[in-house]
Amino acid sequence: MSDSAEEKTESGKTADSPRTGVTRRGFLKGAGLTAAGTALLDGVQAFSSETKGGTPASVTELGPGPVPVRLHVNGAEHTVEIEPRTTLAEALRINLGMTGTKIVCDRGVCSGCTVWLDKMPVNSCMTLAIDAVGHHVTTIEGLSSDDKMHPLQAAFVKHDAMQCGFCTPGMVMSCAALLERNPHPSEHEVRHAVSGNLCRCGTYPKIFAATLDVAGTARNA
Amino acid sequence: MNRFAIADCTSVDGALSQLKDGAVVKAGGVDLLDRMKDGIEQPEKLVNIRNIASLRGISETSTGLTIGPLTTLAEISNHPLIRSDYQILSDACGHAATPHIRNMATVGGNLLQRVQCWYYRSADFQCIRKGKDICFAFGGLNQYHAIMEYTTCPAVAPSSAAVALLGLNASVELSSARRGKRTVSIKDLYIEPHANPTKFNVVEPDELITAIMIPKPAPGTRSAYQKYGEKESFDWAIADAGVVLEMDGDTCRRAVITMGAASPVVRRSPEAEAALTGKIINEETARAAGQVSIQGAKPLSMNAYKLDLFPVAVYRTVLLAAGKRDRDPSAAG
Amino acid sequence: MTNRIAEDGLLEQAGAPGKKTVEMPVGVPGYTLAQESRDVPVAEPPVWPTNKDLKYVGQSVERYDGAAKVSGQARYTSDVQLPGMLYAKFVNASVPHARIVSIDTAAAEKYPGVRGVHVIQHVLGNAVLRNPALDPVKYPVVRYAGQPIAAVAATTPAAAEEAAALVKVRYDAIPFVVDQNKAREADAPAVFPGAADEAASAGGGGGPTDVKQTGNVHGPSIHRKGEIDQGFKDADVVVEGHYVTQVQTHSALETHGVVADWKPELLTVWASTQGTSSVREELSAFFKIPLTQVRVITEYMGGGFGAKFGAGNPGVVAAALSKKTGSPVRLMLDREEEHLSVGNRPSSDQTLRIGAKKDGTITAIHLVAYGTAGCGTGAGCSGPAANLYKSGSLHTEENDVFINAGPASAMRAPGHPQGAFALEQTIDDLAVKLNMDPIDLRDKTDDHPVRRVERQIVRESDLWKSRNPVAGASPGPIKRGVGLGQSVWYRFVSMNSNAEVRIHKDGSLEVLSGVQDIGSGVKTVMAQILAEQFGVPPSQISVKIGDTNHPQGPDSGGSVTTLSLTPAVRDAAWQASQKFLADIAPGLGATPADLVLVDGEVRSQSGKFDPISFRRAAAKMTTSQIAAQAKRIPDYDPKKYLTYGGVDVAEVEVDTELGRIHVRRVLSVHDCGRPMNPAQTISQINGGIIQGISYTLLENRLLDPVYGLMVNPDLEQYKIVGAREIPEIEVRLVEAYIGQSSTDASGIGEAAGVVSIGAAIGNAVYNAVGVRIRQTPMTPAVVLAALRAPAQGKETA
Repeated sequence: MSDSAEEKTESGKTADSPRTGVTRRGFLKGAGLTAAGTALLDGVQAFSSETKGGTPASVTELGPGPVPVRLHVNGAEHTVEIEPRTTLAEALRINLGMTGTKIVCDRGVCSGCTVWLDKMPVNSCMTLAIDAVGHHVTTIEGLSSDDKMHPLQAAFVKHDAMQCGFCTPGMVMSCAALLERNPHPSEHEVRHAVSGNLCRCGTYPKIFAATLDVAGTARNA
Repeated sequence: MNRFAIADCTSVDGALSQLKDGAVVKAGGVDLLDRMKDGIEQPEKLVNIRNIASLRGISETSTGLTIGPLTTLAEISNHPLIRSDYQILSDACGHAATPHIRNMATVGGNLLQRVQCWYYRSADFQCIRKGKDICFAFGGLNQYHAIMEYTTCPAVAPSSAAVALLGLNASVELSSARRGKRTVSIKDLYIEPHANPTKFNVVEPDELITAIMIPKPAPGTRSAYQKYGEKESFDWAIADAGVVLEMDGDTCRRAVITMGAASPVVRRSPEAEAALTGKIINEETARAAGQVSIQGAKPLSMNAYKLDLFPVAVYRTVLLAAGKRDRDPSAAG
Repeated sequence: MTNRIAEDGLLEQAGAPGKKTVEMPVGVPGYTLAQESRDVPVAEPPVWPTNKDLKYVGQSVERYDGAAKVSGQARYTSDVQLPGMLYAKFVNASVPHARIVSIDTAAAEKYPGVRGVHVIQHVLGNAVLRNPALDPVKYPVVRYAGQPIAAVAATTPAAAEEAAALVKVRYDAIPFVVDQNKAREADAPAVFPGAADEAASAGGGGGPTDVKQTGNVHGPSIHRKGEIDQGFKDADVVVEGHYVTQVQTHSALETHGVVADWKPELLTVWASTQGTSSVREELSAFFKIPLTQVRVITEYMGGGFGAKFGAGNPGVVAAALSKKTGSPVRLMLDREEEHLSVGNRPSSDQTLRIGAKKDGTITAIHLVAYGTAGCGTGAGCSGPAANLYKSGSLHTEENDVFINAGPASAMRAPGHPQGAFALEQTIDDLAVKLNMDPIDLRDKTDDHPVRRVERQIVRESDLWKSRNPVAGASPGPIKRGVGLGQSVWYRFVSMNSNAEVRIHKDGSLEVLSGVQDIGSGVKTVMAQILAEQFGVPPSQISVKIGDTNHPQGPDSGGSVTTLSLTPAVRDAAWQASQKFLADIAPGLGATPADLVLVDGEVRSQSGKFDPISFRRAAAKMTTSQIAAQAKRIPDYDPKKYLTYGGVDVAEVEVDTELGRIHVRRVLSVHDCGRPMNPAQTISQINGGIIQGISYTLLENRLLDPVYGLMVNPDLEQYKIVGAREIPEIEVRLVEAYIGQSSTDASGIGEAAGVVSIGAAIGNAVYNAVGVRIRQTPMTPAVVLAALRAPAQGKETA
């Protein structure tokens, strides 16, 4: 996320109020998130027109049964009918048939399920699908465009940075996210970026090499 | 996970109005989803506060810093002002969990996460913290549990952010629809197990954390946090240390030493603090502070090794805070 | 006998002798390479030179399915979604030892979305009583917490899970034991009411069946060579050590599971497996249907490491539910089930004594080992002791200790990481005692010709030269050390290795086999072989594997795949190419012997025509397709059998204040016969090293002693190395030709890394701190305890 984007607050809302102690002038961070919050609001209100009697207008109740949810995935809009408990990983894999994202530990400790929310890598198994509303979701299927591999995907193949391949989508999404925010990482930074990604086949050394290759940083032997 | 209804909120008032009849707060959802997937909690209604913009952000006030509880660990750790003036908090947030979790986990949720004891987290073990009357750790596998200040439950304090905020003398603002706001220090936020085993913190079911307030550090303050695991890539702490030093040149005027992985709630070590007060910070004084940092510790059957680790965590973090040593490459996270 | 085309293109008369004598390269280029004679069947292809003279084989050709894997297109069993597919969930035992009194499925059957419930009558994997009458029960006895009892199939995963929770199981609890040492005591609760054995399983799982059982101790299985008492009498020095290693779970990222679609005429199963054949065989046997009625498909699989053979409980139960419901059924284990019920590496508790003469000659090796494979068997770990070094006498005793935990299964080099951890450290102890360099001692005791070369490479390396001359000498709390460990593995051959090569009239080429790719990259190697034969780039070859509809391929265990299948692939390619040339030669006005396939062309050696592209040549075929199927033939000369293995060198940093070990660098010198694809081979070696480091420093299957439940059935507290633990790894691949097959390739999955790195770390730690750590995992608690009160091995004069 960009540091330099101008911070905004929701116009017309009392998001900043003396009671909370947060001054409009002093609001240093939050760029992008507030905007996303606005979009989410729209997204939420758009698909649920019912509010229970007495519920403030800023609350939308969903479920427990299935509700229509609009997800923006890899540049396309999809509407899925899901229960609120459905994770983003489940919605992608089962409802949308995008099985490139894998569920491995289902607890957010192996990053096998990594997708991007607005270019930020997150564990989709620990994200409710409804929390992805209003965000741009990018999965491994969406990393390449028009049958042309992302340079990192090509580098993974060139360096043989996979074996069984099950961790590979999560690794690619994690490394590609790193390169988005830091085009020239050091090896230390690459290791750090995938420090939450597990590989049982031991492809790490070649993952580092592939990512550093794209970064243009030669890896010392 | 069990089936649940979710109230998606975009205002604090809206969220507060939903906190009744067993509804639980969902922020980043990291710890909540963990507990639900493990089957130790089955809330039927979630109150989704994740989109309440007013609860997110970091702002400088005349007295210090105010952090919205929805601010993520990543945002906190990368924030320039926090990195420069509140390093202990940047360290703690920046090394918690994994990079992707830090992108989603909120500091408020991190403070309120439940203990990580494997008995607690398993639906197969109904322990004291779940309302029953057995603790399985004392007579079982306790290598990761507390070495001091435990009576009823030896699970250690899980939040690194709390260790840092304790060092910074922070407090939280709690808000509810019926009772308005109240301020609680970090120290008072947590309930010791013997006082109330099933209530981990003082936040009432109808309350939200609405702000975290950190007083501005005195000029010349330096701080740091390190945690050590069995793994370096990511791991829960087997030993950790938060250090805040108010310096007059080379001399330490005042020290705050905190830790999370030694005891059921975050603690300070007055003995280690006293060992540094008025002293020049060097390897000798740092090690001396480390030696007394866990005075009174009584290990369990499997965690005596922590008695060796904490003094090292403390002395190395004291030297790191004082600028006399680099970050330990083997520190976790 | 029929006439056939011999390699020189001339018709060979029937009745000609079956063998021809050829010269094959044998040995290590640059060290011991020489030509040796072999008598090989006449139909065998021409002898390949060493890799430097081949074009595609021996090159680091890009992984065949790399693009599919990096793009998310690769479809694994857990990705398979069929119309009308049901989701199944196991009901698992919540207690470690019990007789099941009743199973009430009524509520589950009525649950919305549920289409079928299956109660397990015969659970697979556990050891089986020799006298079944000792367990006269209706349901299988629960022998470990997590044992599958029943399963529910429903229209959604959530419905299956919720309904499974409604199955009411009533237990009659039986006393249990989960501590290996307690289980050995005379009054320990009995895991089985009598002697029990686990059947041998693919990849080396299971244990001996011809041993006695005393209480929970199944064994000993004894091997003797020479006179052990005399061996110790002949010794000038004796070194002894007691070593303890932990239970490790395979933790492949894709869990076990299948999608089973039982139709009246065919049972089709997508399986995450290391052996499509093994799954088909077990389903056929279990359901008593012909093999022809079962088809198993494995397009991709997310890791196995030895646990994924046969249909297992997941396969059998999913198939049963599919048959019952008439719908496809998906049953994939969750992470907790994966830790509990589908295998693990047994523990070991080893007492090892070695006697030697002053000059290093080993006179006696005596090993007594106990290990637990849970309620299964297979904890033997004597392989290294028996096969690495020459010894005047050998005595090994291996015992399985039953406990109420999940049955073990083969895990990457079964028994060998455990055995090498003890053996290689004891050998280093011996070197210290004899004041000999560890490499000099091994040169004395290890007469394997290739390991000798590998040790030479190590000796000359910068890393080895940087070893501390005196253990523990470096100052400061962070101490650095260097140590080595050796490995041995065996050239197992699976004769069930077949391949078919087809040439199509449009010039397209394909090779088919039922073999699966578990991550080694066998598809790439197959493409390379065809490329070498037909002279076209590997990217133009179509490789089709992972389907029992294809000619049967080997199960991928024991590191057999490349070794067993590549000769069959080559032979099929050779035979197909000869048929092809014989077919098109007349149309080109040439004899078959005049034609060569080079650089994508068919050329006349005598210049009868200008070169034409392979595609244009194929258009001249007289039939649309030419095919040849070949099987693996036996090794050319069993008398020249050679094990293989290598040497790992580890550089560690020991933080003596925190008890933390960090592996900084590894130099890994290994052979795999003819390396077919060095990049893929190195990837595997990296993998073995990294798994071995994880095993040595971190992983542990932890069972609560009071309740018998695993407390860390996840990927968080079950700790596997991550990105920050990875050392700098340098691999030196040693080409070591043995002249045994038409490709002379071997496997590498088990020979390299996983066996030797633990001992290398142990020996490096000793070099760093002068203290030997004889227990894994080497957590801070273990290291600090060792530094405080080093438990020395007993040394007697």
